[in-house]
Amino acid sequence: MNDITSQITGFLSAALRRQVEPDDDYFAQGLADSLFALELVTFVESHFGLTVGVEDLDLDSFRTANRITEFVRRKTGAPESGEAHEAHEAYEAHAEGS
Amino acid sequence: MSQQALQHGAAPVAIRSAAWYLPEHTLPITDVRTLDETERRTCDGLGIDTVRADDALSSVTLAERAARRALEQAGLDARDLGALVMVESRVQERFLSSEVTRLQHLLGADNATTFSVGGLGCVSITPALLTARGLLAADPALDHVLVVHGSKPAAALRYRHPVTVNGDGGQALLLSRSGRIRVLDIAQLTNGRYWDLFHIDYRDRPTAQWREQCTEPSTYSFRLAMETRNHLSAMLDDLLRRNGIGRGDVAGFVSQNLSAGSFTFLEDSLDIELLPACRENLRQYGHLGPNDVFLNLHTALDRKELAPGDLAVLINVSPVAAWSLLLVGTGSQEDTA
Repeated sequence: MNDITSQITGFLSAALRRQVEPDDDYFAQGLADSLFALELVTFVESHFGLTVGVEDLDLDSFRTANRITEFVRRKTGAPESGEAHEAHEAYEAHAEGS
Repeated sequence: MSQQALQHGAAPVAIRSAAWYLPEHTLPITDVRTLDETERRTCDGLGIDTVRADDALSSVTLAERAARRALEQAGLDARDLGALVMVESRVQERFLSSEVTRLQHLLGADNATTFSVGGLGCVSITPALLTARGLLAADPALDHVLVVHGSKPAAALRYRHPVTVNGDGGQALLLSRSGRIRVLDIAQLTNGRYWDLFHIDYRDRPTAQWREQCTEPSTYSFRLAMETRNHLSAMLDDLLRRNGIGRGDVAGFVSQNLSAGSFTFLEDSLDIELLPACRENLRQYGHLGPNDVFLNLHTALDRKELAPGDLAVLINVSPVAAWSLLLVGTGSQEDTA
C-alpha cells in the first residue's frame, strides 16, 4: 500500500470505526452519511492541500481509498511514491498564505 | 456596519405579523411508523422527540387557522389584503381544484390577487418572499401580502428515510413595506440535476402505500451534501459581501429543521453555530417544510436568543435541489407601522 492510500485507510478506519481496506466501497456498504462525506472531503482537502469543487463531486472518485488516491494524484500531480509527505508540506505552505 | 451598507437596492419587504397553527395532538417519535429496523434506528436518532399531527386537518385548514391569527394580530381585515400567496401543498386534497382560491374564499380575501408558488420543497418560502417583494415594489397601492403554507406530509408515512419526520403545522406571514422583521436580502440557487432525487410514486397504488423515496441514497449523502457545502459557503460569502457586512455582524444563524445531524452538517460546513431555537423546535415539532425557518426565528426572538436590531441569516436547503439564504433584520415593535 502506498503512502497516500495508507493515510486514507487510516482516516477511514478511524472515522468508520472498523478496518477499511483500499478497495472497500463504504458507500455501497451503507456506512456513509452526509456527515461522514463532509469529514472525508474535508480530510482530503486539508491533508493533501487541494480544493474539492462542485466539478470534482463524482462519487466514483471517493467510494474507495484507492479511488481517492487516484483523485489526489490527479489533483496534485503527485508521483507514485513519497507523494503524501510532499503534498502535505505544500498545503502547509499554502495555508500560511504563500 | 452602516444602514447604507445594507441597502444595496432591493425593494423593502418586512413581516408585519406572523402566526402559526400547530395541532394540539402530539405524536411521539416512537409511534411514527418505519418500514424496518434500519429505518427505525435512523428515525430514532434524528433528534426529534415528537411531532404535531392531526389527520383530520387539511393543509388548507392549517394555513387558514394561521392566517386568521396573523390578520388578527395586525388588526387587518382579509378584505384589505392586496395579495394572497400560498406556498403550494405537498399534495393537494383534490386534483384540478384550487386550494388557494378555496383559502381566499374561506378567509374572505375577495380583493386579494391570489395564486400559489412552489416547486422547491422547503425552499419554496423563498419564491413566496420574492413574489411578495415584487408585488409591493410594483404596485404602490398594494400594501399587504399574506404568504401562507399548511405543512402536511405527502406520503402515508411521516418518516422520510434517512432525512426527517414531517409534522403538521400552518404558517402565515403578513408582509408589508415595514414591520418588525425586515427581509433585507434574498439569495436563491437551484440545480435541476436533482429534480427527482426524492419522489412518491402514486398513480399505480392506493394512498396508504405512498412513500417518500430517495432514488439514490449515495447521491444524497455525498454529492448533494458536498454541493450544499460548496454552494452555501459561496452564497453566504456573497450575501455578506454585497451587504457590506462580515460574519461578526450576524447575530444568529437559523436553519430548517431536518435532523440533529443536518444541523451539525451545516455548522461544520459553514463554520457557524445555529441558534438553540432550531434544535428545540426540531425536538418538539419535527420538520414543517417551508415553515421551519421563520418559526425558528420567532422562537429565537421569544427566547431572546436575538435582540432588537440584530441581523440573522436564515438557511434553507431542499433536495430538488435548491438553496436559499435570507438576511433579516430584527427591529423593535415601534418599527411595526
